[in-house]
Amino acid sequence: MRIEEHPILGKTEERKKVTFTYDGKEIEGYEGEPIAAALKAAGVMVHRHTRKGSPRGIFCAIGRCTDCVMVVDGKPNIRTCVTPLSEGMTVQTQHGCK
Amino acid sequence: MKRYELIVIGAGPAGLSAAIEAAKVGMEVIVFDENARPGGQLFKQIHKFFGSKEHRAKVRGFKIGEDLLKEAEEAGVTVQLNATVVGLYPEKEVNVRIGDEIKHIKGDSVIIATGASEAVVNFPGWTLPGVIGAGAAQTMMNLHHIQPGKKVLMLGSGNVGLVVSYQLLQAGCEVAALVDAAPKIGGYGVHAAKVSRCGVPFYLSHTIKEVEGTDCVTGVTIAEVDSSFQFIPGTEKHFDVDTVCLAVGLNPMSQLAEMAQCQMEDNPKKAGFVPVADEYGRTSVDGIYVAGDVSGIEEASSAMIEGRIAGISVARDFEYVSEEEFKEKVEGFEAALGSLRQGMFAPENRGKNIEKTEEGIAVSKNLLKKGYLEEEVFTFPGVKKIKGLHPVIECTQNIPCNPCQDACPKGCIKIGEKITSLPDVDENSQCVGCGMCVASCSGQAIFLVNEDTGDGMGTVTLPYEFLPLPKVGDKGTALSRKGEKICEAEVVDIRTSPAYDHTSLLTMRVPSEFVMNARFYTG
Repeated sequence: MRIEEHPILGKTEERKKVTFTYDGKEIEGYEGEPIAAALKAAGVMVHRHTRKGSPRGIFCAIGRCTDCVMVVDGKPNIRTCVTPLSEGMTVQTQHGCK
Repeated sequence: MKRYELIVIGAGPAGLSAAIEAAKVGMEVIVFDENARPGGQLFKQIHKFFGSKEHRAKVRGFKIGEDLLKEAEEAGVTVQLNATVVGLYPEKEVNVRIGDEIKHIKGDSVIIATGASEAVVNFPGWTLPGVIGAGAAQTMMNLHHIQPGKKVLMLGSGNVGLVVSYQLLQAGCEVAALVDAAPKIGGYGVHAAKVSRCGVPFYLSHTIKEVEGTDCVTGVTIAEVDSSFQFIPGTEKHFDVDTVCLAVGLNPMSQLAEMAQCQMEDNPKKAGFVPVADEYGRTSVDGIYVAGDVSGIEEASSAMIEGRIAGISVARDFEYVSEEEFKEKVEGFEAALGSLRQGMFAPENRGKNIEKTEEGIAVSKNLLKKGYLEEEVFTFPGVKKIKGLHPVIECTQNIPCNPCQDACPKGCIKIGEKITSLPDVDENSQCVGCGMCVASCSGQAIFLVNEDTGDGMGTVTLPYEFLPLPKVGDKGTALSRKGEKICEAEVVDIRTSPAYDHTSLLTMRVPSEFVMNARFYTG
């Protein structure tokens, strides 16, 4: 799902790999990329469930719609599409409003 | 309270351009932007822009963005990132949230350049993960190098839907279909044609009935709609896709203007609820200006010029430039903006049904309904049967764009003074096959053709922006304008050059009878 080489943008720059946890599971991503990008690359689609249990994931990817919010390092309602990933982050699926 | 001479809200193409003009003449300017990176949406635009030299036509969007940032830095513009303006008042007081703090500052003047947000449509399943905005797809693939999905259905045939569909193909995704409830394609025909020839089917007068899936998208059903946009029973079509992309329009993000009590209007020609502004971007509130999509949806090239006009207008109103200097500058900007607002897609033509080109040629209905040209392609001045090597220009709508005219060193291509005129190929000029016209066409509508190389075969040179790049000697299949396999093809030349700017020129050999139909190559 990651684009290694693009016809216009060329080869994707080498970036520092970091490890974070998603619902307790260890996943690798790149430092500084949005948390949502690392999750997408790992095939994670559901970021949260509404109070009624309906799933939500990335929608706008620019921090506007708040569909992709998750619990990051214990803090709820974090917009994962605009929050940079760093080593050791704890990312959890959010259930309902917090 | 901290005070600035000029506060610009938004570091996109309009905001940065405004800040540059004001800072260049000595104003103290700060730009606030809620994002971590400046440039707005410019860095996601990897296609070549339309226009003429002065609009930086044939340059890719992200390169224009890089140059704009450099210019802003040289002009001494301060850009404060991660700074969200949450309040704007008629006295030019601004509340800006930076981190966990809200700061209260004052401007002598304010330029609102907040851009636009994507519109959405509702249908059963629209909240499922995998239903995304077209902007989200661009952000994921062009900024973060992640495929938005494996197989995508695009809803919306405006320029955003068309351009993003093509970019999805470039990112290695499959585009299952391009769907629009409208009876005709909304964006440029050339953008539609380049998606069509890759084999993407268009479904006009169709929209989404339902998106399926429990945790995420697993499929989508579309159906035909009648003239009052009601579903016609029995016309359902199903696609197994993992992603549905919405490109159903943009809305001006004008909330701050309304909050500052600027006089507002609902103006369909400007595509939404916008502040009323004069030609210099001045709103009804003294000292508050607007520029770019927030004052009416257009595109990045016009947003940049509007920004420059607003910036120099603020400088004039605060006496940083004389009336003469102002006039001289603004006249140049207005001329550039005026030329972009010409042609079939001009803001004044929104919603109009245009039947004929400026040259009096019937507009291709196939192009509008199916996304590709058929036999009528020969009615346009860029498409002629000429002996030997020559350009074939399948540019059939009056759009403000003319780089092909300057690209040809032999003067084979004529557009003339009027930027929207259709390019005309001169039958007597000598094409040397340099390919500069092919690479310079932002719409990828130019092909070099030799209808008969003497042995019942001919060659077609086409713009190719995909990976992996085919090699000389490869044998594959030629595709028609519709994207259908029509004949065997052999790659006889592949050219890449910095002058072509990442557009490769692929030359394929096909039987003569297919030369005027073969428009794409697949391995």
